[in-house]
Amino acid sequence: MKCKYNFEYMQMRALFALFGMLFMSPIYAEAMPPNAAAASEVAATPEAPAVALSPFEERLQLCAGCHNPDGNSIIPENPKLAGLDKKYIRRQLEAFKGGDRTNPTMSSIITMVDPKEFEDLADFFSKQKRTVGTSDKADLLGQGRQVFEEGVIGTGAPACMGCHGEDGSGDAKFPRLNGQNAQYVVNQLMNFKSGTRANDAKGLMRAVAKRLNEQEMAAVAEYMSTLKEAE
Amino acid sequence: MKTILSAVIVLLFGLQATVAQAADAYVPKVYGKKGYVWDEMTPERVQVLKQKGDPVNGKEAFRGCQGCHKADAAGVREGVYPRLTGQHASVLIKQITEIRAGIRKNPKMLPFVQDPAISVQEIGDIAEYLSTLTSYRENGKGPEDLSAKGEKLFMTNKCYTCHGKHGEGNAEKSYPAVAAQHYGYLIREMNLIRTGVRGNSNPDMVKAIAKFKQSDMDAVADYLSRLPDYRTLH
Repeated sequence: MKCKYNFEYMQMRALFALFGMLFMSPIYAEAMPPNAAAASEVAATPEAPAVALSPFEERLQLCAGCHNPDGNSIIPENPKLAGLDKKYIRRQLEAFKGGDRTNPTMSSIITMVDPKEFEDLADFFSKQKRTVGTSDKADLLGQGRQVFEEGVIGTGAPACMGCHGEDGSGDAKFPRLNGQNAQYVVNQLMNFKSGTRANDAKGLMRAVAKRLNEQEMAAVAEYMSTLKEAE
Repeated sequence: MKTILSAVIVLLFGLQATVAQAADAYVPKVYGKKGYVWDEMTPERVQVLKQKGDPVNGKEAFRGCQGCHKADAAGVREGVYPRLTGQHASVLIKQITEIRAGIRKNPKMLPFVQDPAISVQEIGDIAEYLSTLTSYRENGKGPEDLSAKGEKLFMTNKCYTCHGKHGEGNAEKSYPAVAAQHYGYLIREMNLIRTGVRGNSNPDMVKAIAKFKQSDMDAVADYLSRLPDYRTLH
């Protein structure tokens, strides 16, 4: 028991150290808006805080390390949380906490977050504006649009917009896909296909992903990353 | 002696368990196989028909179907996915429960209608919701107008006995409305019914279209696809 505690303690210390490095790294600072970068530098040097951060603000910095302060992650493998439905974010946090959804980073990070914090975190990120990417891969975008709007007739893969909405804006049940990072989407589709991720409602997404090949996944992910919310 | 006696007891209990299991488990009987009964009231179908369908719940549950059948439930013009709007609730319940039971073979649809994708309650809810929809988005028709030939075949082969003179079907008997359905879907299903691949073929219909050439089926499908939605006739 004592041994386990020590291990967890060391793991947490290692993670904090990792995040400290991340916040101070030039890559991170470059990616963040100037004021946010400044704020995280403050957090990284707690000996001389210029501005006192609330516990919630400190917690947001933990998320910002991977998802960006405004929830529009610039790391292609990480999801944009901005504009996701509050209930959807909550459900995912609970799934990570309970082990129904796993990811090497998130499964560790979530051990530091108390379920009481989920509501405020979900609320914050749901209210951020989702940014939309651009792409010049015309062929891929064309194929992706077809998958999004019509599905794949041959294998019987349903169109994404059936559940996620015509502009991919999603809701509490089905997540927002417009503007989402393409690499993250491809990874999730692969995880659903293999069953590594299985916290989809009623197994619907697993059934869909089984009918998509890697080319179709890449295409639809690329298309959705550029898709704008309808006016 | 004791050993024999206990062996007999074990055997008897084992037999009893097997018999009990057979009585419990529903075994689907598919067209062409021994014991097939067309339009069998499967336990699940009986259960759904007993419930009251809730169209509001049905609209929500139907979201998982929209990826193929579209938000207005009018399907795809090419006929890959049928038009469901205006179809009788009883027909939808028959087809969904038979697909779930493995009687009607529809591997493309199965993952999206089987447990847990849709609950028994939701089958009735969706059927109720769809029967109230009034999308008249244009359906897919044949490449050339064969409706004169199609109508003649439809009437001389007495297809109207089940499907109605206006292609309106029969809600009470769970015969589908076929008017204004997509041409491509009608042809596909006629072939699947005739060959038995569909799994839940009505033997009377198999007989009725047994002598049809492909060109005859094309004509009937074209005729039906050009009929107006029967609900617009009133």
